[in-house]
Order: sequence, then C-alpha cells, then structure tokens
Amino acid sequence: MHTGLTRRENLTGWAFTAPALVLLGLFMIYPILWSLYMSFMTGKGMNFKFGGFANIYRLTQDPIFLHALGNTLTFLAIQVPIMIILALVFAVALNNPRLRGRAVLRTAIFLPCVTSLVVYSVLFKSMFADDGVVNDALLFLHIISEPIPWMNDPFWAKVLIILAITWRWTGYNMVFYLAALQNIDPSIYEQARIDGVPARARFFKITIPMLRHVILFTTVLSTIGTLQLFDEVNTITASQGQGGRPADATLTLSLYIYNLTFRFMPSFGYAATISWVIVILVGLLSWAQFRLAREK
Amino acid sequence: MSVTLKSLRKAYGAAEVIKGVDLEITPGEFCVFVGPSGCGKSTLLRMIAGLEEITGGDLVIGGKRMNEVDAAHRGIAMVFQSYALYPHMTVRENMGFALKFAGDNPGTIAKKVDAAAATLGLTKLMDRKPKDLSGGQRQRVAIGRAIVRNPKVFLFDEPLSNLDAELRVHMRIEIARLHQELKTTIIYVTHDQVEAMTLADKIVVLRDGRVEQVGAPLTLYDDPDNIFVAGFIGSPKMNFLKARVQNGQLALVDLPGQTLPLTQSLPEGSEVTVGLRPDIFKRGGTAHLDLTIEIVEQLGAETYAYARAGADIDGQPLTIAVTEGRDLRPGQALKVTFDPARALLFGKDGQRLR
Repeated sequence: MHTGLTRRENLTGWAFTAPALVLLGLFMIYPILWSLYMSFMTGKGMNFKFGGFANIYRLTQDPIFLHALGNTLTFLAIQVPIMIILALVFAVALNNPRLRGRAVLRTAIFLPCVTSLVVYSVLFKSMFADDGVVNDALLFLHIISEPIPWMNDPFWAKVLIILAITWRWTGYNMVFYLAALQNIDPSIYEQARIDGVPARARFFKITIPMLRHVILFTTVLSTIGTLQLFDEVNTITASQGQGGRPADATLTLSLYIYNLTFRFMPSFGYAATISWVIVILVGLLSWAQFRLAREK
Repeated sequence: MSVTLKSLRKAYGAAEVIKGVDLEITPGEFCVFVGPSGCGKSTLLRMIAGLEEITGGDLVIGGKRMNEVDAAHRGIAMVFQSYALYPHMTVRENMGFALKFAGDNPGTIAKKVDAAAATLGLTKLMDRKPKDLSGGQRQRVAIGRAIVRNPKVFLFDEPLSNLDAELRVHMRIEIARLHQELKTTIIYVTHDQVEAMTLADKIVVLRDGRVEQVGAPLTLYDDPDNIFVAGFIGSPKMNFLKARVQNGQLALVDLPGQTLPLTQSLPEGSEVTVGLRPDIFKRGGTAHLDLTIEIVEQLGAETYAYARAGADIDGQPLTIAVTEGRDLRPGQALKVTFDPARALLFGKDGQRLR
C-alpha cells in the first residue's frame, strides 16, 4: 500500500541515489550501449556508417587480432594458474602460527599490488635490461652463460610479463586466501591430526575444498584482469611509446584496442567490436569456472 | 584402557597452567573434569589428546607412556565443543574420513560407518552436509566419527555447551546410554556441575591447574574436602555461614544471637565456616534457625525459599529447598530445623574440619 508517507520516503531515497545514478548512467551505461552500437559501424575516424557484421568478419581475417588473442590466452593459461597456486602456498605458509615474522612477510608479499605502476615498470625495465641486475645475478651464479634478452626475444618477453604480473598480483590474491583460512575453525585441523590425516591430505582434502568458493572468486577476478592486460605490456615491454614489443610478442587485446583507437588511424567501430570480444570471453570463462566449481 | 597422569605439568613460558596433576582412571570409567573457566580442564584434556605438549610428568595410556606419541597414535578419539565437522563432506564422508588413513578398505569403512550411524540414529542423514543438520544431529555425527575409530579412550571437550537446554538434557542421556553400551573409558570436560554429577563415575574437580578433589559424584556432594568443592558441586549451592566456637556452641556471626550445636570438638574461639546444603532442611532435627522469607521460587515438585535472619540485611540470603512448601510466602517467618550432623565445618584455610 502506498501511503503518503511511504511515497515521501521513496522520493527521498531516489533523491539521495540520483547523483550516483546519473553519473553511472552517463559514464557507464551510456558508453557501454554506445560501444555496442559502435561495434556495428565501419569507417575511419568520425566518418562511420552502419556495417552490419562487417567488423566480425574483419576479426576473422585480421592476423594482428588473432595474434593478440593468442597472446592474451597464453598469458591467461599460464599466468593465472601459477599465481593462484603460488598465492595459496604463501597463504597456507603465512597462516602457520609457528612461522616467525609473519606480519612482515605478509606485508612484503601484499605490497606490490599497491605500488605505483610507473615506479614498478621503470624498476622492472632496468632490472631486466640486458645488463640489468637480474642477468648479472644469473651470470654471477653461473645459471646462464650469456644474458637473457628479456626485452628483445618474443619468448622471454612473454616470460617477463608473466613474472611481472605474478609479482604484482600474487599478494592480492593471497590476502583473500588468508582471510578465508583464518575463518576456518582450528578444531577442524586438530580433529584431522587426531584422525591421523597426513599433511598432504590435510591440504588437498580439507584446506582446498574449504577454500573452494574463494578460489573460484579469485580465479574469476584474475581471469578478468588478465584478459584486460594492458599496463605492463604498454610500459615494461614498450619502447618509443609503442607497447607489445618485441614484434608484437606481448601484444594483448586491450593494447590492440588502444592502438586501433589512439595510435593508428582511428577505427572506433572495429575497436569496439574487439572490446565486446573481451566481454564475451570474460562471460564464457566465468560461466565455465562457475560450472566447474559447482557442488556435485 | 586405563589412563594415568603422574604429576602432569603444562607451562606457557613462565606461566604454569597445569601444576602437577596425579590421576588414575580405570578401564571403562566415565571420568569428568569439572571446574570454573580457566581452571585448566580443557588444557589437561588436550594434553591427553596430544594437541598440547606436556611440559613435565608422565601420561600413560594402557600402560604405555604417551608423552611424545603423536595424537593419531594414542588410541583416542575426541569430540570438540564446536563439533569440528568437515563442512564440505557429507555425514558419511565425515564419519569414514579417518578410516581411509588407517588403511581400511572401502567395504570395511562402509560397514563400520553404517553400524555407528545405526547406533546413533543417523541412518537417514548420511548424505547430508553438516550445514543441513541441527545442533543435536551435528553432535551425534561428531560422536559417530569418534565411535567408528573404535578408540580405547573417548575424549569429550564440553560437547553439550552449544546446545539449548532441552537438547542438552537429551544428549546427556544419550551419552550415558552410549557409555553403558560401549563400556569404553571416557574423559569428559565440562564446566556444568550437573553434567558432571549425572554422567560421571568419577569427578575430578579442578581449580587453577590443580586437583581439588577426586571422587564419585555423591562422595563429593556428601563429603567435600574443602569449601571450593562444597560450593561448586550441588545445585542450588551450599549455604555458607561464618561462625565462632563459643561456650561449646557455634555462634553464627552472620545471624547474631543464633547458635548451632557443635558436633565435633574444636578449641574455644576458633573461627569456622558452616556449610549447610539447601536440602538438609527437609527433615526435622535438633538444630534450628529462625529466618524470614524474602523470595519464594515454586518449581512444582520443590520450593526454593531465600531467607534471612530478622535483623540481618547484608550478605547472601540462605537457600532453603523443601518439598512441602507450597504455602510459603515472602515476609513470612520461617523456623527451619535440621540434623546438626549434616552441617559441614570448614577451617579458616577453607579445608574441611573432620
């Protein structure tokens, strides 16, 4: 029933949310819808006309797009599992009350994700230069006989990007696992000790299943993050303002969108189409991950 | 299987929490550790379980010293206050999980789990997860998980504290029945003296990491060694009155002008505490007190009257528990009589004067 009072309360409520809604509509919903409309447009710069599925056809014929897609999926397939496993291992280790200096280690592992992007990129560029500290150290330890061309070899450039984003985001994921671990009733592990459950089984049969929801959450987040990978490939493996080096070995979908929009002759429609490709990939992969993690 | 503690100690750094406990638990005995919170009863249980290291003394289970033996190999099973069920496993998986690591084959596991489930009435719940069970059902699963391992000693750590009052009484009876069936040694920790009284063959009253008294429930009730045990065991609590020996009688300090006959020889002028259980006022006797009723609690079968001496307004009122007390009213004068032999006397140090 709508009395005068509830209507007034309703109006007040809408009035309070209105500024946020206007901003959301203007800067989120409108651009999203506009980009969907744009993805059906062809043409250069502001000169565009309706092209139907022309952009989608162009995708299938565009070797650079396919290359960027391959790179992005490679980063995803290799980096996300490594990072998730590493974050889990760190979290379990740091949750052990017998470990000394837990607080310091926890902070140290978490810090990279709040470090300034520019600072970290500059540091990585210098560390991984041909004569940088990383190569120097590896040479000194006789692990390698000549410097690794981190920036100039397509394979090593990918490795470098994977190292960089793993370094930056592992601690972020670890914090989720730590929070989840700290919510587990310690009696459960005491019960497991009395039950004679070996350490391996404690990890795989108790810890991992109990963290399943958090693992799913972080996997979906990391998948989305990696599909949108842009920062590192536009800074660390970039020179003279062009990212994705060498020879587009680290070109990602996001970087390609950026290039299409701001570096090449602007092709807004086609760039919008690629951004929708990312949206669809995110949707599909998240859906698949939710299905995989579903309780039987 | 017998359990023996020989001057068992536990210290965290300089803080000693278990200060030398000696105890002999005979095979098949139901032993209850009881005491106020912080008395060390749970710590003592966890030391027996192997979850806390033992700082000093010996722990012997079934004739074997167990101080350094891993928790998994002590032949014990434990039921936790929080139940500690594995939340991602069904009831069946929870109950069979430990057996997998004990080397049993799936057929044997299923047989043992089904047998325990039948004993505890869990058969219909086997495929549910803990979150779909009520508190009492979870408790039963935790007990079932302990039973399937066929332990030599069961350890219970405040297993009924998370249940509501009605369920607590129900589970208490189930645990008693289970002990009659299995005849396994049980060590049970509780802060609830009613649980201790109703379940135990032997009660161990602990305070500040020390044993205050060990004995059968009624022994502790009738013949406590000190004021602490006398006050802790029994509900409603024992009444304590300060008194002085004067002219061969007990002059009550709290009830000026009133005296009680002295049933044992004590030096003139000694200060004592007289302990009177609320239920001794039921029968006639040669001792009497003149009181005024302040509050009456009618429980149906029994009546609790809280009464004071006329002039006295300070201090605790005396609790009087009587069966024929439906006509008692607040403000009424009450003359209670009792057998003076049932009054317990405690010295200034709190120890019983015998």
